[in-house]
Amino acid sequence: MVEFVVPEPDYDRYSNRQLAAVPLAVLALALLVLAGWTLVTGTPVTPGIEFTGGTEIQVATDASQSEVRQTLDFAESVQPIAGSNEFIITTQSTDADAIRSGAQSAGYEIVSVQSRSASFGADAQRLALIGIGVAFVGMSLLIFVLFRSFVPSIAVVLSAFSDIVIPLALMNVFGIKLSLGSVAALLMLIGYSVDSDILLNNHILRRRGSFYESTYRAMQTGVTMTVTSISAMTVMWIVSSLFGIPLLPDLAIVLVFGLVTDLMNTYMMNLSLLRWYKFEGVAR
Amino acid sequence: MNLRENWRIVMLVVFVLASTFALFGPAGAPDAGANNSSSYGAATGPTNLQFGLELAGGSRIRAPLVGTTAETLEIQQGQRSTIRQTVGSELDIPTGDVSVVLNTGNGDAVEVLTENVSEQRFRAALTAAGLDGEGASIRNGVTAQTRQQTVETITAKINRGGLSGGQVATQRSATGENYVVVDVPNANTTEVLDLIGDEGEVSIVATRPVDTDNGTAYRNQTVLTNRQLENSQIGVAGVTEGGQPRVPITLTEDAAQNYSRDLVDLGFTSSEATGPLNCRYRESPNDPGYCLYTVVDDEVVYAAGLAPSLAEDIESGEFQKAPSFIMQTRSLDEAQNLQVNLRAGALPTRLAVENGTVLFLQQSLGDRFKWQALLTGLIAWLAVSGSVFLRYRNPRVAAPMLATAAAEVYLLLGFAAAIGLPLNLSYIAGFIAVIGTGVDDLLIIADEILNEGEIATGRVFQSRFRKAFWVIGAAAVTTIIAMSPLAFLSLGDLQGFAIVTIVGVLIGVLVTRPAYGDVLRNLMLDQGGD
Repeated sequence: MVEFVVPEPDYDRYSNRQLAAVPLAVLALALLVLAGWTLVTGTPVTPGIEFTGGTEIQVATDASQSEVRQTLDFAESVQPIAGSNEFIITTQSTDADAIRSGAQSAGYEIVSVQSRSASFGADAQRLALIGIGVAFVGMSLLIFVLFRSFVPSIAVVLSAFSDIVIPLALMNVFGIKLSLGSVAALLMLIGYSVDSDILLNNHILRRRGSFYESTYRAMQTGVTMTVTSISAMTVMWIVSSLFGIPLLPDLAIVLVFGLVTDLMNTYMMNLSLLRWYKFEGVAR
Repeated sequence: MNLRENWRIVMLVVFVLASTFALFGPAGAPDAGANNSSSYGAATGPTNLQFGLELAGGSRIRAPLVGTTAETLEIQQGQRSTIRQTVGSELDIPTGDVSVVLNTGNGDAVEVLTENVSEQRFRAALTAAGLDGEGASIRNGVTAQTRQQTVETITAKINRGGLSGGQVATQRSATGENYVVVDVPNANTTEVLDLIGDEGEVSIVATRPVDTDNGTAYRNQTVLTNRQLENSQIGVAGVTEGGQPRVPITLTEDAAQNYSRDLVDLGFTSSEATGPLNCRYRESPNDPGYCLYTVVDDEVVYAAGLAPSLAEDIESGEFQKAPSFIMQTRSLDEAQNLQVNLRAGALPTRLAVENGTVLFLQQSLGDRFKWQALLTGLIAWLAVSGSVFLRYRNPRVAAPMLATAAAEVYLLLGFAAAIGLPLNLSYIAGFIAVIGTGVDDLLIIADEILNEGEIATGRVFQSRFRKAFWVIGAAAVTTIIAMSPLAFLSLGDLQGFAIVTIVGVLIGVLVTRPAYGDVLRNLMLDQGGD
């Protein structure tokens, strides 16, 4: 039988610089992707119809995917739903009436329609940005209050920042648009990613025992936490994508990106900063 | 087992029982009571849970109202009519599209209920009407009164149109935009929009007794036509300071001239008409005396006589100068209905659907989402179970952990049923967030309590538990802070997600997760004794 044992890495072999280099390089690469994306498309991530305005309709028909695509010439994407004869069609147009009558005259049964105007979308986008911004600042302030020392606090905040930025870059790489689901996931990440960082800081700074003992104990719990969440989100992504449930697939996949990133950030970047703080920063 | 030592477990059991009652108990949520027919999905399933549109099927139309409003003005009651006329003619729009609203909370206001009003011309028109056009603050949108009137009108039309269970409300986004939200289960958007757009014919008809050879007969004459009513301003139904429900009306000057002349000619201002022969339609509809009927699509919906004071004003010419009067009703409900009738069901202004959102979902799809979401949650929970078992390989640790995580969701569902929260997909995302943080916290508790070897005494347990709780508490506060902007900023679609997450984290940290610590202690002490 498989056993789930958290491995004990041999941190002694690597210097702080080496440890921090990998996550920082990935973070830099992610920022580069976002900057490049902004230069080319005007926004750091491509917003979905929830934020740009547009229409998504779901129709039931016996026609094939390519037939649907041909019949509804306004369609920007036609996606089949597994295990059914239904398709989800998205378009930037917000003329829901025209879209509905187009689908009806083709003989398709309309299962659902969701349409948002551009102005409403822009409003939602502003709110989402405010929401994420306020959440991040609030989280940072709380961390500084909890630990009351600069290096451990900034380690947590930096790692949370990276946990949000890297998934955003990955969304571009995998062609996932920003939606309500992914915004929800980014907010959850602020909460989740901090869990394992707080745990690590707490064990190293507030417990007896050697640095490496404390680290390993925090890791046993922290890695289990994150891996459990990753496994839950991965199956949720697979199942909800197959079913064609809205909101959930985006949420799950962005969380998977973020949690994997968090493993790297917590046990390489955060750890190296803490080690430096414990052995060199304090001694000076 | 000592109850006092295990009060956390006792509390969890109490909460689980309360939740069971909320979910399966009789009558269920206070919201689902008899006087509220508008909650969807009430009593449709085996539980008291209510489902929102995304899971029950139906239509939602969310749109801002067309209009431009000038506020911080100072207007006298008597100026209403002239202001409406002047502003209307200056802007080349019908008088009916200009309304004057006093005491808005931001001074008095003039609103223009049409598209594309240039701010410059609006200011000029206000100045022409003798107001401080330059000093007024002008914004897009309409006054709260007009929004309220729109909501009441749509509600009345939906209820009358046979689309049961509709809900109409206003929603304000954090950026200050106001929307009217119309939710109708089991109807498609075309049906709903047609019903909202549907308008009838209304008029005010004067009826009076006339002596003829064959005794007393009744004669009818229209004194206010549909068009004249359209051009007048029908105020918001409300209650006077004296507690009298009423609808205020301001006529145009032209209409007021005709109206007063007709009423004087027909003898309505005579002492007989305002006295012994005043309207008694309710008591004797066949011999009502001097009555003013409100007629919608040939049906009398309201009848009243002329009050002596108003008759006096008409005789003296006072009314023609400030042509406002009120129609009194017996209840606020009746006043709200009358207000809708006087507009013949027309909305005060247009719903700008093209600037809003439209959502339609077949009921069958909603039903499918329900069980699919349930199944997805279940599979995710199994994945969690798998990794927890692989990690601990001890059912004594893992089984209570998974039970506790499930209890958390159960309590949340009970909470949702108790307050009558209509569940949507975003709430389900919130449940998932709660399970996620919940399992994280349970792992922290388990590791903290088990890692340092045997639990010799209660005191050792307490100290370890407290250590674990510091981390859990810190993580919980972070999550709550991360979610609160969404919960309080009214971001519409993600608000439910944020609220569920916050409530779930609170339930978890205060009730279920501490109880797990107690369960673990009992099991471990038992094992130690073996």
